[in-house]
Amino acid sequence: MAGAGRDERAWVRGAQRGSASDLEALFHAHWPAAYRAAYLVIHDAALAEDVAQEAFLAAIRNLDRFDRRRPFGPWLHRIVVNRAIDTGKARALRRESELTEGDAIREDAEPPDSSVLRALGGLPPEQRAVVVLRHLLGYTPGEIARLLELPRGTVNSRLRRGLDAMRESL
Amino acid sequence: MTTRLERIEVPDAVAAEERARRVVLAAFAVREPVPRPRRRRRVAIGVVLAACAVALAAASPPGMAVVDRVREVVGVERSAPALFSLPAPGRLLVASDSGVWVVGTGGEKRLLAGYSEASWSPFGRFVVATREHELVALEPEGDIRWTLARPAPHGARWTGTRTDTRVAYVDRSGLRVVAGDGTGDHLVASAGRAPVAWRPGSAHVLAYVVADGLHVRDVDTGRVLARARSPLRTGLHTELEWSADGRRLLVVNDGVVLVFASDGTLLTRSTREYGRVIDAAFRPRSHQVLVARFRGGGQSTVSELESGRTVFSGTGVFDEITPSPDGRWLLVEWRTADQWVFVRLQGHRVIRAVSGIAKQFRGKAVVEGWCCAR
Repeated sequence: MAGAGRDERAWVRGAQRGSASDLEALFHAHWPAAYRAAYLVIHDAALAEDVAQEAFLAAIRNLDRFDRRRPFGPWLHRIVVNRAIDTGKARALRRESELTEGDAIREDAEPPDSSVLRALGGLPPEQRAVVVLRHLLGYTPGEIARLLELPRGTVNSRLRRGLDAMRESL
Repeated sequence: MTTRLERIEVPDAVAAEERARRVVLAAFAVREPVPRPRRRRRVAIGVVLAACAVALAAASPPGMAVVDRVREVVGVERSAPALFSLPAPGRLLVASDSGVWVVGTGGEKRLLAGYSEASWSPFGRFVVATREHELVALEPEGDIRWTLARPAPHGARWTGTRTDTRVAYVDRSGLRVVAGDGTGDHLVASAGRAPVAWRPGSAHVLAYVVADGLHVRDVDTGRVLARARSPLRTGLHTELEWSADGRRLLVVNDGVVLVFASDGTLLTRSTREYGRVIDAAFRPRSHQVLVARFRGGGQSTVSELESGRTVFSGTGVFDEITPSPDGRWLLVEWRTADQWVFVRLQGHRVIRAVSGIAKQFRGKAVVEGWCCAR
């Protein structure tokens, strides 16, 4: 783990100096989790791709201001999850294509863990984000509170309500 | 829970990673690093050397080409810092996180706050907009003419003549139509979904998405005039647009563009060989289709569908393309550069660009329509 941290600091330093290969290493290390987190919050692969991609572009724009003593992941995850929450809310209002859950399930082959996906999809975006940050990305409630700039009590209550609702649904 | 979340299959993951990798590396290649103060002298020397290199490169004809390419690689270099004016008559409707904006020819902007999407009435005198549980007809200056409470309305489109108009929209019950004065709201098709597109003309004929393709329906008689069975992926963003003469219907879905005749016959389908289609539009008063694509290598282009002639290209991702009402200009939303680029379609090539779009519209901005030279 410490080795991974050293690698990451070296990649950030290299990228700040203009090394494309270091930037690419950072991208490959963080894209899968960023894209998965965005997908689990938004539940739309195309929008999740946009959100994760824009988060990386925002990270590049701000790379020179990044303090390389800090880990890169939380910085990126904060951008991804905040954008995913905003996009999820906007999508709920816009509903570009009205697709009921039943239609979606008929259209695609049933994925292996679709019940979890459905249960997660039943939560509001803010609760989804907290569940994803806690249980996919492994942040503690205190870290989530700092990432999302929320009181810790709010994080705990969103987490509890989200997991209760998922349990009922499952 | 962690294991179950990690096991969920994310669609298209490998291709998405590759697309994102190209865009990210392309953006990184042209970023301008912020110099750190303690290294000022070294950076200054670097700038001088870079300037000499660019000057030397530009001295030869091939070098000129390289320099031009660098200038346009992520954003047009000579861009206006704000939208001071539109290059053609008419007004824009723009949806952003803060609401819907009406932008006049002289660049003046009015925010209609609280609405999530909107479209113009046929002659640009009114706007139909939606918010959480309400369909609203209002004047572009913001005065509300009527409202209709409906569950989660969206995708509203307005059609008609100066004396008889209809608004189509979708809510939780299906596809509905209401007269332009807000009366006579009724369900047209419970299976209908957004987007919808009115066929130009005095008859009230509507194209809309259903589970297995498209329907074209006369909403006055209720008769379905055409059915196009097409494997549309209904969970994905879809665009529908009629040609001005109502004889062609284009559909953008799942990275391809399809062109149908008005009877539902499929006439053209783009291939994925030249990249993923992001948006498409008819050139005004023609059947020529302009297509915005995301291509390999992190490049995007706008080109003619049939001839393949490139109209505009750049690094990163384009969003929507919108022709001006007079057909002389095309607005390209260049997301990666945070610019709008106006490309002249007639006569010699002219490009005008505006930077800082997200800041001007207080969030990600999407052009909903460019309407109606007066």
